[in-house]
Amino acid sequence: MKHLTDEDVQTLETRAYTIRKLCLEFITNAGWGHLGGSFSEADILACLYHRVLQVDPQQPDAPTRDIFVLSKAHASPALYATLVTRGFIPVERLAGYCRLGGLDGHTQRGQCPGIEYSGGSLGTGLSFAAGTALGLRLKDNFQSRVVCLLGDGECNEGQIWEAAMSAAHYRLDNLIAVVDYNKVIAKGKISDLMPIEPLREKFASFGWTVLEIDGHDMREICSAFYRAKYLEMNGRPVVVIAHTVKGRGVPEFEFNYHWHTHAPRASQAEAFLVALNRQTGQSGVFNGPLREPRDGGLQVVVEEALS
Amino acid sequence: MKFYKKNLREVFGETLVELGAKYPELLVLDADLNTSSRTALFKKRYPDRFIQCGIAEANMFGLAAGLAAQGFVPVPSTFATFASKKALDQVYVNIAYPNLNVKIPGSYAGMTATECGPSHNVAEDIAIMRALPNMRVLDIGDNHELRSAMHAMMEYEGPVYYRVSKFEAPELFPADHSFEFGRGQMLRDGSDVTLMGTGMMTGIALAAAELLDREGVSAAVVHLASIKPIDEELITRCAKKTGAIVTIENHRVFGGFGSAVAEVVTREYPVHVAMMGLGDEVFDSAPLADLLRHHELTPRAMARRAQALLRRKAMA
Repeated sequence: MKHLTDEDVQTLETRAYTIRKLCLEFITNAGWGHLGGSFSEADILACLYHRVLQVDPQQPDAPTRDIFVLSKAHASPALYATLVTRGFIPVERLAGYCRLGGLDGHTQRGQCPGIEYSGGSLGTGLSFAAGTALGLRLKDNFQSRVVCLLGDGECNEGQIWEAAMSAAHYRLDNLIAVVDYNKVIAKGKISDLMPIEPLREKFASFGWTVLEIDGHDMREICSAFYRAKYLEMNGRPVVVIAHTVKGRGVPEFEFNYHWHTHAPRASQAEAFLVALNRQTGQSGVFNGPLREPRDGGLQVVVEEALS
Repeated sequence: MKFYKKNLREVFGETLVELGAKYPELLVLDADLNTSSRTALFKKRYPDRFIQCGIAEANMFGLAAGLAAQGFVPVPSTFATFASKKALDQVYVNIAYPNLNVKIPGSYAGMTATECGPSHNVAEDIAIMRALPNMRVLDIGDNHELRSAMHAMMEYEGPVYYRVSKFEAPELFPADHSFEFGRGQMLRDGSDVTLMGTGMMTGIALAAAELLDREGVSAAVVHLASIKPIDEELITRCAKKTGAIVTIENHRVFGGFGSAVAEVVTREYPVHVAMMGLGDEVFDSAPLADLLRHHELTPRAMARRAQALLRRKAMA
């Protein structure tokens, strides 16, 4: 991986901006989705897919590919948008988000190229990733790496620590975990509801190499992944603790748990795009006109039958 | 058919507050979902009796078991899918089998987690919970019924699993409705076929009966919120009177409500039973009405199933 120029940084930041903008658009159209966690992980995903991971949209199943596992699968929007920017899926697929036959609210393995993990139940991704890394090792694949993106909230789950224990025991240095440490879970600050600190010491005591970075600084993100991928092959799994801002990019979203699972109305979304443009110094409009999401519950189905 | 404006989960949150005043031993446990489930209302009113467990469901159910062993009545609250599957081991070994007094609400039950998709929608919880020893199982379909059931379960010593789906319910019962375990209600009398619903699907059954009436078929409609224990006497009476039963549930057709009805019918008075619900598939990510239509859980589909069953009955 070559040295990161200012231009490279600029390009990656533009990718992250595009990911956030697409998320805002298709979540608004669906009337549902996780903006906060998608925006906090956008820089990490842009760096991974456009700089770090050995993946090929033309051969999404190539045996020597790197494998990405989104354990915090509720933040699927940013992954879907990233797959669009990397050429895995056409942008039109995003219109089917949370619609029948479309992309699910939480990632589902095989639903589109590049999605390898079925998630939605928190705390389960790191075990899947460790199993994948172990499988690669058993097949004598020493080229592929497994990268697993965790939410800070799911580090409450006991299974994360069972996975951490097993990855260290099996010396899975082909496994890289990333914690999107955005400090806010669904209903408040994690430090109030169920603190996970000291996180660095926890992973270290489980036998992991721990790197700690600013998860919105492209140079730091890239150098941490470079180190994790190529320099730390010493029999220990690596965790990158990425300090991030929940809802990064739109001031109303930032550290605000109200926007954990919440979709803006169309008029709000326009204003949020303006804010995003202002924050990132970029300019952009949505791909198409925003739609008001369709609604309707049991009553609609009963009444249309009786009419 | 009239519908409540107030979502069922609001009634759940408000009733918990009511129960908090009456039962000082009531504790509410949460796994980072309190504004979704509406236990936030209880948290605001009784902060000292609200226990935040973080995103750690297995531990929450273990804590609940320990608290129950100390004489408290814990309400560990999370989505139905996690209560029934993620923490199943703790629910079985620590709560159901030792018969501890834990009341387990399953939020966003069935397909009412809508856009959340297959990980959050749940179609197995009734089958799973029904199979556990000592566990009582309810799927509630009406606002007044929910309130009454929550009061009734506080007067019952033992574990109860009850679905709190997120939907606006049809008005099935008056404000003074009294829920009883093992007791169903005949909402509409009929002689050709009985449509049996549980939870939110009874509204579909009532509308289907209306469609059948237009086609000259007399359909009875029965609502059975209490799935375990179930109203064996009422089910048997319907089997004898109409000779054909169609069940509908917001759940898979394997081991759930329809199966519970069929177990009674097979033993007491075998007649044709058709079961409607989810087959060997998952609930997608989509709005509720789209899911109901897509999985053919509509009044028209139920009327068609009833007509098909009547043809079989005529041929028998």
